[in-house]
Amino acid sequence: MFILRWQVLNAMQLTIRGTGPDVNMLSYLMAKNPNNLYERNVSGHLVRLFFGKFSEEEVEVTIFVTPDSIELSRNNSQTYEITSYINDREFAVSSIFCTLIRTALGTALNGKPKEEYEAWVNHRFPLQFSFGPVASHLSDHELLDLFQPLGYEVLITYGEVDYSMDLKSKSIARYITIKGMTTLQMGLRQLFVLIPVLDNYKHYYIDEKEVEKIERYGEGWLDQHPQRELILQQALRFEELYKMVHVKTERHSEIVAEPTMRLNDLRYEMIIRKINQLTHRERIVDLGSGEGRLSEKLGFVEGVKEILAVEPSESQSLKALKRLEKVERNENFVMPKQIMGSLFYYDERLKNKDIMILCEVIEHIDEFRLPKIMETILNDYRPRVLLITTPNREYNEVYKMDEEYRHPDHRFEWTREEFSRWCQMQNRHQEYELTFDGIGEEHELYGKPTQMALFTRKEV
Amino acid sequence: MKIMLPYAGIILLIGPSNSGKSTLLKQLVDTGQVLSSEIISSDEYRVRVSDVEFIDWSHRWKDVSESLYDEYQRISAEAFSLMEATIEARCRLNKITFVDATHLYPDDRKRYIELAKKHHVAVMSLVLDVDEEVLLSRDKNRINPRGKKRIKQQYQVFKREKRFIKKEGYSATYFITDTDEVEVTRANSNPVHLEVDNGIDIIGDIHGCYDEMIQLLEQLGYEKNAQELYVHPDGRKFLSLGDIMSRGPESLKTMLFFLRHVKENQAYMVDSNHASKIARWLEGNNVTLNHGDELVAQEFEQYEHTNELAQLKEQLKEFLLNAPSHYVLTKNGIPTLVCTHAGIKDEFIGKQSDVISDYCRYGDHEGLDDTGRPIRKDWTIHHKTSLLVVWGHDPKPKSLIINNTINIDQGVVFGGELTAFRYPEKKFVAVQAKEDYSKGQYNPLIELKKKRLDPPNIAKFNDGFSVLTGELGKVKISKQYALASIDSVSHHTIPIEEVVYIPPTMSPTPTTSSLEGYLEHPKEAIDYYRNMGIERMVAQKKHMGSRGILFLFKDTKAGRKYVGRETLGVIYTRTGRRFFDIETEEKVLERINQSLAGSDYFNKYRTEFILLDAEIMPWNLKAKELISSQYAHVAENAILDRSKLKGKIGNAVENNVDLARWLKEYDEKLTNAFVFKEVFQKYCWEIYEIDQIQIAPFHLLAHSHETYFHKPHTWHMEMNKEFALMDNLFVETEYMVIDDEASEEKVIKWWNDMTGDGHEGIVIKPETFISKSNGRLIQPAIKVRGRKYLHIIYGMDYLEPENLKRLKKRNVGKKQKHALKEFALGVEGIERLVNGESIERVHECVLGTLAMESDPVDPRL
Repeated sequence: MFILRWQVLNAMQLTIRGTGPDVNMLSYLMAKNPNNLYERNVSGHLVRLFFGKFSEEEVEVTIFVTPDSIELSRNNSQTYEITSYINDREFAVSSIFCTLIRTALGTALNGKPKEEYEAWVNHRFPLQFSFGPVASHLSDHELLDLFQPLGYEVLITYGEVDYSMDLKSKSIARYITIKGMTTLQMGLRQLFVLIPVLDNYKHYYIDEKEVEKIERYGEGWLDQHPQRELILQQALRFEELYKMVHVKTERHSEIVAEPTMRLNDLRYEMIIRKINQLTHRERIVDLGSGEGRLSEKLGFVEGVKEILAVEPSESQSLKALKRLEKVERNENFVMPKQIMGSLFYYDERLKNKDIMILCEVIEHIDEFRLPKIMETILNDYRPRVLLITTPNREYNEVYKMDEEYRHPDHRFEWTREEFSRWCQMQNRHQEYELTFDGIGEEHELYGKPTQMALFTRKEV
Repeated sequence: MKIMLPYAGIILLIGPSNSGKSTLLKQLVDTGQVLSSEIISSDEYRVRVSDVEFIDWSHRWKDVSESLYDEYQRISAEAFSLMEATIEARCRLNKITFVDATHLYPDDRKRYIELAKKHHVAVMSLVLDVDEEVLLSRDKNRINPRGKKRIKQQYQVFKREKRFIKKEGYSATYFITDTDEVEVTRANSNPVHLEVDNGIDIIGDIHGCYDEMIQLLEQLGYEKNAQELYVHPDGRKFLSLGDIMSRGPESLKTMLFFLRHVKENQAYMVDSNHASKIARWLEGNNVTLNHGDELVAQEFEQYEHTNELAQLKEQLKEFLLNAPSHYVLTKNGIPTLVCTHAGIKDEFIGKQSDVISDYCRYGDHEGLDDTGRPIRKDWTIHHKTSLLVVWGHDPKPKSLIINNTINIDQGVVFGGELTAFRYPEKKFVAVQAKEDYSKGQYNPLIELKKKRLDPPNIAKFNDGFSVLTGELGKVKISKQYALASIDSVSHHTIPIEEVVYIPPTMSPTPTTSSLEGYLEHPKEAIDYYRNMGIERMVAQKKHMGSRGILFLFKDTKAGRKYVGRETLGVIYTRTGRRFFDIETEEKVLERINQSLAGSDYFNKYRTEFILLDAEIMPWNLKAKELISSQYAHVAENAILDRSKLKGKIGNAVENNVDLARWLKEYDEKLTNAFVFKEVFQKYCWEIYEIDQIQIAPFHLLAHSHETYFHKPHTWHMEMNKEFALMDNLFVETEYMVIDDEASEEKVIKWWNDMTGDGHEGIVIKPETFISKSNGRLIQPAIKVRGRKYLHIIYGMDYLEPENLKRLKKRNVGKKQKHALKEFALGVEGIERLVNGESIERVHECVLGTLAMESDPVDPRL
């Protein structure tokens, strides 16, 4: 059958329970008649509210949404492509829930009941808010850290996982109850900030209004919350927006130097150095150019007249285009020509170039497919020089890695001997001279982290 | 005087005013020998552009005279440019045109000679040779006399030019003194047109393989008569695409055979590269005989009857030189098919010229390769008209249908086949060569085989492309989706040479069920087929797992032959990705291979591979992550939510009777959630070892020598039974035949029982694999999914009346279109694979289907 992305279509429900004297005032604070059922249609979804209990000392009110599942899923299938980059096709209802019930709870949220009940707005009741199901990637511990600092007692229960086969040990469908002394308005405002935080993804585009909303609802508690950072980051998914409220706070000033990043730069440096030593370097092909990092550097190499950046992935190519456009106007920069191409096809545009580069590409291809690719490169494209880099597996010892590869997509990582032997085999027509080198900090036993081979066409 | 007119071209009349040009033409029109529309006259065009035929500018004031003269020149210029455009159009359309003007000056005539050459038609001149006195006396009697001075002047020019005309390059020149004596003969039809009549069998390059040719003719039903001629009892004729000689063992014998049969009107032959070379050699020209032509010369040397040799050579020379560049077959006079040796341009069809002959002999080529062979260009991509072009010259392993052309040179001389294409039946008949006569020299068939697995040329795909399918004609793939599929092939799929087929998508019922409470029902599928005139259908149980294609080899050697690596096969998903992890795949393949080999399957069916389309179960094999994070997740949330709400509403209902409505609603919703949870678990079970995997094949697509699209689905189902008997990894698929009311009822009951139990549903197919209605391809299969199953597709509450009402408005139009195109692409790709075509040609179809699948369609359909 089709792999059909399914979304959580369930409503959320929120039950507010209060006990103790004057708790019946809650109905006035919400401006809801306890004897009536409340039901409103909000864009096809039903927002409903009823009082499960109502007496002077005990009030339980439940507000919930019965969504229009067909409408939700239909919209989703239509917008499948457009929104996929901000929304991993999953539909988290917790933020939509808040949007839907905001009007129903407007009076309570804004603290604007009829004048005669205004005094009760700031009255603290022993309240309990139960809500769920929550589909959140946050751990129980992280959930506790969100609510406990606000003085709530937190209880979490789970959905059933009694499946006929071993699918999972614990459900991530959770139902949360928080309990504490608070005003209705404060409790709701906290929930309206925190429920979207639980949400894995938001369903709508976040704009400046969101910032304003957070500032309003967060007044008086959010600034002191130890998880303020996390809350803001989660609530305002986009960096730009996040920065708007964040300017005052300092970010981690110290950037931890990642060894892989440095290795990348060393690699490019080495490739450029090698190229500069070659007499013929007018026409260069960057095979599997990805986001165009190497192609960008090649554009500044002296004497280069043409660079072909070959990449099959559209998304990568778009990133590369952005990168290249930034430097396009630089003097002495040769704009690489982006080509939608692939190692698995024959491409006459790549014939007879001076230099071809496979920088950290081969290890992403199943080993058994490589000979054919090499055959096409060495015998059909016939570059003067072919330059290949790939990880040196011996060096993984230095990284204290076990059997695993440096990247989950790697199909293999070779020792220096394996790589050398493989290169000799590809050169079976003996038309190329082979030289090997390494890139990165040298270990006396394991060599350098990246290995490099240079195939140089023998002059006829 | 008899004048032979060409079938098409320009007939230039030459002569001064009053020489009788128009009179001659009028006479030909009046006697019905020429159509008035075939005549273009300068006088008429002057009237057409300016309303006046003639302006007399003599005997006027000088300034008036000059002005009138200027005007006349302007009118003439316009009239001639319009005339020329009309003549050119008629030349393009291969029509005959008489040009009625004086044409006294060489430049006037040269224009038309060039025009005729440009459009590959004949140009002929009719010179009206009349004495000056006659001209002058006729002028006096006409309405607008041209005047004595002008006639005299014209006659002087004519007299001077007369002797040069013959040498100007006309196909014929006639000097006419008396128009009354003129009689014309003209061809009623285009000389290269051939009426199909009782049928024509077109035969590919024979290259002296006389025995194979005779064997083929006998297979086609030709019988040797008393005169030793091969004739067909139904009156069919055969037509050779040329290159009947050279390279092979018996060129001379083959040439003599055709010489006789063509003479006796039993056969036809078009010109070709080897034939033209031999003809030039026979003419006594100094030509280097190579590429097998030297063998022809040897045969002549060894010819026994030396006394007949000179005469024989003469006859053969004439025969070869007279072979037309191509033939156009017609049905009741309407052209439908073109026979040419190496290729043709659309604008050449039906015409004859040296340029055309050369093109038809060699096709389109550019330069020579390292070994001195011409680099052939693909001329077929420029073929746009509806005429089917049948050609040879360039050996292909199997008859190749490309761009509305068919190549039927299967290299018999290289050990391949000699192919005949029967027209109008459009059937292929082929005989295998007795041996490879190339004897270790360059053999294009072997070269092609070596190159079969070469990486496809990306230039063919990355601007969008179209695939010519046998079942649906041209299927176009836009650039956007072509690029997306190349991206996918470059990152995710198994190697290009291994993913030889992508199964087509399948449409659900064309209309939703008319029954309350059902979204889909078998009735609508059955009705769809009945309306298409299909009476016999097969209903198959639809398994719920993941689609899998099994490309299984007899042994690792066969793997090397077909995909270039030593493997027992490959199993991949409908998106071309490896189905299992490598270790499991190896285990499954080994196990299946042993079982099939144990049952002697490969030998029994004499095949080196098996291509199966199957459903592989359980669902969680491929979809465990999806099930856990999506389906189970949804179930947990729904049950948690709904049970809590049901509880809360239930507790409060006694205090508020209005809540009863909500309680009922949530009670139902909770039930829906439980159904949902039950349904998706139905398709899942724990996998500890490969024994728990089930593979349900439903199509045996192909063996190495044959595809099985001509077999009915009942046959496919029986073959699947055979697989199930050989290995218990394979499971049988239950099926039923629908051919009347009773069997229809039975199938509906079966469907109801099965789906009530939670099974996905059934697929209904016409009994024949490829089914058409009024010549149009119809849906090859329609799925009918069960009520319960659809909970996991349309949502757990989809059966709520309000929801169902909206869902019934669904539109399957796009899905159906995709299903047809992908089906046609799938069939085409497998045909190409089995025909031994290059992987590039197979990949074209695969990439096409992958591209169609990147065009989003409502995934719930």
